[in-house]
Amino acid sequence: METKIPKPSDAFLSLMRADFTTQWRNRRSVIMSLLVPIIILISWKGLIAKLGGAFVFSIALTIGLTSIGMMGYAISVARDRDKGVFQRLRVTPVPTPFIMMSRLLVQLGMIAVLTLGVFIIGYRVDKIALTPAGYILTFITAFLGGALYLGFGQMIVGLIKNAETVNSTTRLVYIAFIMLGMFGELSDNMEFKNIIHWSPFGTVKTILAAAMQPVTWNNDATLALVATLAYALVFSFLGIKWFRWN
Amino acid sequence: MIDQPGSSILQVKNLNVFYGTFQAVSNVSFYVKSGEIFGLLGPNGAGKTSTLSSVEGLLKPQSGEITVAGFNISKQPLHARANMGVQLQATSFQPELTITEIIKLYAGIYGVNLTSEKLNALLQDIKLEEAASKKFGQLSGGQQQRVSLVISTIHDPILVMLDEPTTGLDPQSRRQLWERIEAIREKGHAVLLTTHSMEEAEAVCDRIAIIDHGKVIATDTPQGLIDLYRNDPAVISASRKGKITLEDVFIGLTGKTVRA
Repeated sequence: METKIPKPSDAFLSLMRADFTTQWRNRRSVIMSLLVPIIILISWKGLIAKLGGAFVFSIALTIGLTSIGMMGYAISVARDRDKGVFQRLRVTPVPTPFIMMSRLLVQLGMIAVLTLGVFIIGYRVDKIALTPAGYILTFITAFLGGALYLGFGQMIVGLIKNAETVNSTTRLVYIAFIMLGMFGELSDNMEFKNIIHWSPFGTVKTILAAAMQPVTWNNDATLALVATLAYALVFSFLGIKWFRWN
Repeated sequence: MIDQPGSSILQVKNLNVFYGTFQAVSNVSFYVKSGEIFGLLGPNGAGKTSTLSSVEGLLKPQSGEITVAGFNISKQPLHARANMGVQLQATSFQPELTITEIIKLYAGIYGVNLTSEKLNALLQDIKLEEAASKKFGQLSGGQQQRVSLVISTIHDPILVMLDEPTTGLDPQSRRQLWERIEAIREKGHAVLLTTHSMEEAEAVCDRIAIIDHGKVIATDTPQGLIDLYRNDPAVISASRKGKITLEDVFIGLTGKTVRA
């Protein structure tokens, strides 16, 4: 019997169109992901001279990435799993990895929007300008940092099956990350400072700050990059291994 | 040994599904022919959904063989799925998408070229032209079922699987859905449906299988089952009005105990 298998590219494009539309209609979540970084850029204007533009930029971007990975990705995946959206898609002839790849691409789009937004607001409000190499490297490291937080979000939805619990857990972790990230490195306690520095928040912040000023990239930044990649791999591996579609 | 006519669209052979040590499906075998509506009946927890999930490829059975249009669901899942249309029991679509967008999404996934005219004709057919820009959650139960059925059949599959499609519908919506299911049969396609409604099984099914404790305990036409078991003491004892019905046969074979 002859069977017409739809072209994978057509199926993938349809999925992506639907996922982008869903993201667009979820404007509140998009605004939330952009709002906190923008507030930081505006409210910390007076601290730029003391802390440096790269420090403020990297904090703002890291918080935005945390929000995308956890509030954007994890919550929407948990909700759709709970509602049976994935099960409905899984009985179609679309290869299962496409379902998640489409979701992840949408989040990568969000990361691009966030990075651009931070660059524009930073330039307009705080007069922070990077070199062309700094902009390019920051874009690349933002995607690497985003991969870490998307992996973290995947691990949360892998570990926790209930959508409500995922919702509350991600919010709690997000707030904890913001508090520790923003104020942890300002602490006088060296041990605590060190823990924050090598935490998922700290490593992403370090590589972003170094990428913004490529001439300052040093051994510490390279180690932070390795740690970021390791975190991303471990979180993604556990998240995929424990993930259940229903 | 089951009878397997050449025109069978779905063949399930010796299916076994375990959850840990609990066996949910035990050596289940049946087939569904083209132009046939086949009903899978059973009390709660009998193994209907596990069987259906295995056919849909959502569940990996421990053993057994399932073929859809000649394609093995384990070995050629995409080919098998391209030949089936599925309406799940607890299905949902992305709540942010409109009905039009949902239909376009599934048309794209199945590689169906959906022109504006075709889309309008589809919406007209299910009497939802006015609701095209509404979200799925804003529709009534009957309207949601009609959208689900349209999506399940958008690629004109030769096997349509419906898991308790009329649950929660009013009599008018239920009758309308039965007509739609019968229209699928008229096109020569096969339908596999699960239901708790004996009235539905008698009204639309050509053959039914009663499944209990994971095993198929009887397979025949609705009237054939009534004729076969009308003198069974358990069936007679289940009868409430003197006349033996399919429900009496069902209660007689599966017992009066309420399942969780």
